[in-house]
Amino acid sequence: MSQAETKKTTWGPREEHTLINHHLRRLDAPEKVTGRAKYTHDVHLPGMLYGRVLTSPHASAKVTNLDTSAAEAMPGVKAVVKLYSDEKGLKYEGDPVAAVAATSPELADDALRAIKVTYEKLPHVVTPKDALRKDAPEVYKGGGKGNLRQSGSRGDLDEIKGIMAKCDVRVEGEYSTPIMHHVCLETHGVVVDYRGGDTATVWASTQGTHSVPEDAQKALGLKNRNAVTVLVDYMGGGFGSKFGLMLPGEIACKLSLIAKAPIKMMFTRHDEFVAAGNRSGCSVKLKLGANKDGKLVAMQSEVVRLGGLEQGAFAGLPYVYNVENVYSTAAALHTHQDGSVAMRAPGHVQASFVMEAAVDEMAAKLNIDPLEFRKMNLKDTAYHRQLDKGAEVIGWNRRPKKAGETPLVGAFKSCKRGMGCAVGTWGGGGYASCVVDTFIHSDGSIATQVGTQDLGTGTRTYIAAILAEEFGLPMSAVEVRIGSSKYGMSVPSGGSTTTASLAPAVKESTTLAKRLFFEKVAPMLGVKPENLTAKGGKIFVQGQPDKSLTWKQACKVLGRDNIAAQGKWNAELQGDGLHGVHFAEVEVDTETGAVQVIKMVGVQDCGLPLNRTAVESQMNGAMIQAIGYALLETNIPDPVTGNMVNANMDDYKVPQAFEIPEMIPVIDDGDTRNVVIGMAEPAIIPGAGAIANAVFNATGVRIKSLPITPDKILRGLERLKRS
Amino acid sequence: MSMKSFELRNPKSLGEAISLLDSNDKFHERTKILAGGQDLLTEMKEHIIEPEVVVNLKSIPGLNYIKFDPKTGLKIGALTHLADIAADKNVRQFFPALAIAAESVGSAQIRNMGTIGGNLCQRPRCWYYRNEHLVCLKKGGKNCLAASGENKYNAILGGGPSFIVHPSDTATALSALGATLTISGAKGTRTVPISKFFVLPRDNPRNENILLPNEVVTEISIPNAPRNARSVYFKFREQVSMDWAMSAVAVALELSGGKVTDCRIVLGGVAPTPWHVPDAEALLKGKAPTAEVLQQVAEKALEGAIPLNQNGYKVGLTKALVRRAVRYLTETATPPPYRDVNRM
Ligand SMILES: Cc1cc2nc3c(=O)[nH]c(=O)nc-3n(C[C@H](O)[C@H](O)[C@H](O)COP(=O)(O)OP(=O)(O)OC[C@H]3O[C@@H](n4cnc5c(N)ncnc54)[C@H](O)[C@@H]3O)c2cc1C
Repeated sequence: MSQAETKKTTWGPREEHTLINHHLRRLDAPEKVTGRAKYTHDVHLPGMLYGRVLTSPHASAKVTNLDTSAAEAMPGVKAVVKLYSDEKGLKYEGDPVAAVAATSPELADDALRAIKVTYEKLPHVVTPKDALRKDAPEVYKGGGKGNLRQSGSRGDLDEIKGIMAKCDVRVEGEYSTPIMHHVCLETHGVVVDYRGGDTATVWASTQGTHSVPEDAQKALGLKNRNAVTVLVDYMGGGFGSKFGLMLPGEIACKLSLIAKAPIKMMFTRHDEFVAAGNRSGCSVKLKLGANKDGKLVAMQSEVVRLGGLEQGAFAGLPYVYNVENVYSTAAALHTHQDGSVAMRAPGHVQASFVMEAAVDEMAAKLNIDPLEFRKMNLKDTAYHRQLDKGAEVIGWNRRPKKAGETPLVGAFKSCKRGMGCAVGTWGGGGYASCVVDTFIHSDGSIATQVGTQDLGTGTRTYIAAILAEEFGLPMSAVEVRIGSSKYGMSVPSGGSTTTASLAPAVKESTTLAKRLFFEKVAPMLGVKPENLTAKGGKIFVQGQPDKSLTWKQACKVLGRDNIAAQGKWNAELQGDGLHGVHFAEVEVDTETGAVQVIKMVGVQDCGLPLNRTAVESQMNGAMIQAIGYALLETNIPDPVTGNMVNANMDDYKVPQAFEIPEMIPVIDDGDTRNVVIGMAEPAIIPGAGAIANAVFNATGVRIKSLPITPDKILRGLERLKRS
Repeated sequence: MSMKSFELRNPKSLGEAISLLDSNDKFHERTKILAGGQDLLTEMKEHIIEPEVVVNLKSIPGLNYIKFDPKTGLKIGALTHLADIAADKNVRQFFPALAIAAESVGSAQIRNMGTIGGNLCQRPRCWYYRNEHLVCLKKGGKNCLAASGENKYNAILGGGPSFIVHPSDTATALSALGATLTISGAKGTRTVPISKFFVLPRDNPRNENILLPNEVVTEISIPNAPRNARSVYFKFREQVSMDWAMSAVAVALELSGGKVTDCRIVLGGVAPTPWHVPDAEALLKGKAPTAEVLQQVAEKALEGAIPLNQNGYKVGLTKALVRRAVRYLTETATPPPYRDVNRM
């Protein structure tokens, strides 16, 4: 069969899959649960030194004296670097001042403490309120422009005001979300093995194996990216915060250039909170206008993103819903806080919470079922299908029809139950970059290799599934090699682009490998390659199952030769454009303000699911993270001292066992697109909105700022009682 | 995280331990007692304190026991682990508030290591105090940084000049159970009712209790009063799985003919010490616990609360817990059997 005759690669009919679109156990689960999986944190090299970084305890300061001599004189301290310069100054709590490398972590800590620093504190702003004050110190010296930087507007204000005035019903509110943290189980960090010479090896906790070599090569002054081998066997979570060499990596390279020894540089949990980036907050004024019949007509919004030193993220309003007449402005408000980075669906989680709260309020005001109201204003029928499905699974008709009007339940007859829903959207498409190789040897070994990384999303497992299914083998018979920059190029895992970028290239590689393999095997069975099929561990002639070879027998034909097949991205195997909805049922204790999510349902499309278990796991994980966002997690900056007062795992509260409700992840099989689409980010988007709306449905209290903590509920109930 | 170097001493007797503690160490900074280490070691790793000498009580035999005698009541050695107290049959039957409080502490790991003596003597959790770089009133600074700062979790009662809340769950329960503490020092042994053990910041802004720098709590004893068998501890936490008390209430009472004949009510998580409310008790004694009475008792219990700018919610929350605790204890003629009400 010549190249020209090659059939177009497709994923094939759904009913023919034996592994893909099934529930598959994660391949590396045994390694992970037994602790055999080695993360960067676990790497130990002979002669390895431990790096630690000294960070600024002040939100805004100058260093007037930095004396590292005592640290340098300590036995066992092998390198000390100063990271401060007057031009840079110190602009956030966590801004690096100096770093050390020593023979033990304890010694490195002691050495940090031996560094003498004199700080001159400068005025700071760490809250939006302070940042907006007329006399506020400027975070970026901009000649009196203040800290608010407009980044665009859309629509004609006067026109929209006119239309808004004519609307039958209007709702208006100020909404806010806090700065949230990724709280990766494995903190940011690397082990840099450079002992002088031309090459280096870097173990990195990263979302981009191939995003590190160039950075590291430059930092170490080596010839080109090939001089650095980056290894990412396992990584303990990133959620958008781990690309490139990053701060700990940059510092480790500096230290290793001095020490000429391997350096392990992992952030401490405190470093992680103050210097590893975060999800930006927002503060939004939003006005919606609708007609009596339930059609949204006009929207007016003012978005302020709170990204600390960075820009922050916020998806455009009106989020997902169809509103014809729009006026909106957007701006970034800077503070002396660590800059925001990407975090699971950047901008969308914020926008969804804000928009969904306003939409829900409008539905209540119009006295229309919030689910019906959503359908009336969502053009895309995928949402209609998903909303109906979610409503059925959670039992939407059980909810109080009028907010707060529901019997008191619970041990003390003090709790009210309610339900809410919300929607989200995402891209999830891929792009050309991945280079995937598949090898078959005469001993029957078969492997696919590519320099991607598995963030815990299950990349390793679906590569094995694609390969094994192609050759009709069990997953245990194939090998997957990932996590090395010496393997083919792969995309960094950002924007849920990995699957749609990688899986098509894997499919192309395995398809080609099979074609080349069949060309070798066909003569043995006296047929043409296109008449062969691989299934159940055998290669056989279509229609003549007795004319077959076992996999091992077939491979023998390769002799001293082997099959090497390279695949690249194929746009037609992937798609773009996702929909998701969340439903939440909550129980609110009206005496204590406690909110307990008791049930959560997610419905998510993703084209062709490669591994249903992995997709459901992503949805479950996303629901848990959404509960943290909705109810607990918040960076608390103290305006007076400028410090984040809860930069530890005691005071920064995340969901644990008792916060987790019954969760039902539903893969939207109504989506029949036969392409793969990345879904891990969108799975979180509507969560906080659904929970906030459920709280309203239960109590009649609309909390417009996350997280929804008991104090806010109690204050809200007080207000409600008075009004 | 590394600690500053220190000398670890393993005394073989209480007398030796006491002699190793510096009697002039007014703020208990230079020589420290080590029990389960769940608080002390954290403080040292975070450099909140940097003692020169650490005196390990665990090397002294005979401080880990639970003894119950119907006549003399319950005696608990200061080194007894919280997990053992929570699981003890007699504690559960005759002093349920203590079992519930011990069970509510931190996580299983912390309860397995942490001792009751250490739980009573642990230092405040206020995030200003726990930040190495900030010098708050508790660390010899001029101001309580919470007073005008982020004070959602701070005191609404008994505050000033410091507004910490006492973090100990067992302290609140033991106060309601009328416990006494045995304290050994250079001059011998004294017994102190728990109500006299804790001190308000206005009397001593640096230390939370009356212990001299060279004194050790050795035993906690609780009388076998009838009301103690009908006792409960309700702790409200923001993070249900594991958290400190945002507010808590311990109540012990006797019920006869549908009326409360005796009671003790103590609030936790709202003041720098366990907060005993005798005026509220007086309103409950001799009465049937009707909704109206409960409301009055709750109002009285929170009388005098002066919230800071972020913790006003604690007033209503604590009232709810007071009503809840009394209701729970009076709904049945016999005392409710032991039940971990922590997540009810
Ligand atoms: C993550 C976390 C969560 C926690 N959650 C809770 C909670 O929910 N509720 C709660 O009540 N506590 C909580 N704690 C605190 C914990 O319960 C206490 O730290 C523990 O009980 C202390 O006991 P220990 O034996 O470990 O004391 P240590 O840490 O050894 O000592 C604590 C302090 O008491 C002093 N001390 C110890 N024993 C004596 C004695 N016999 N006489 C005089 N002084 C003594 C020590 O010098 C030290 O200052 C938590 C702690 C952590 C780390």
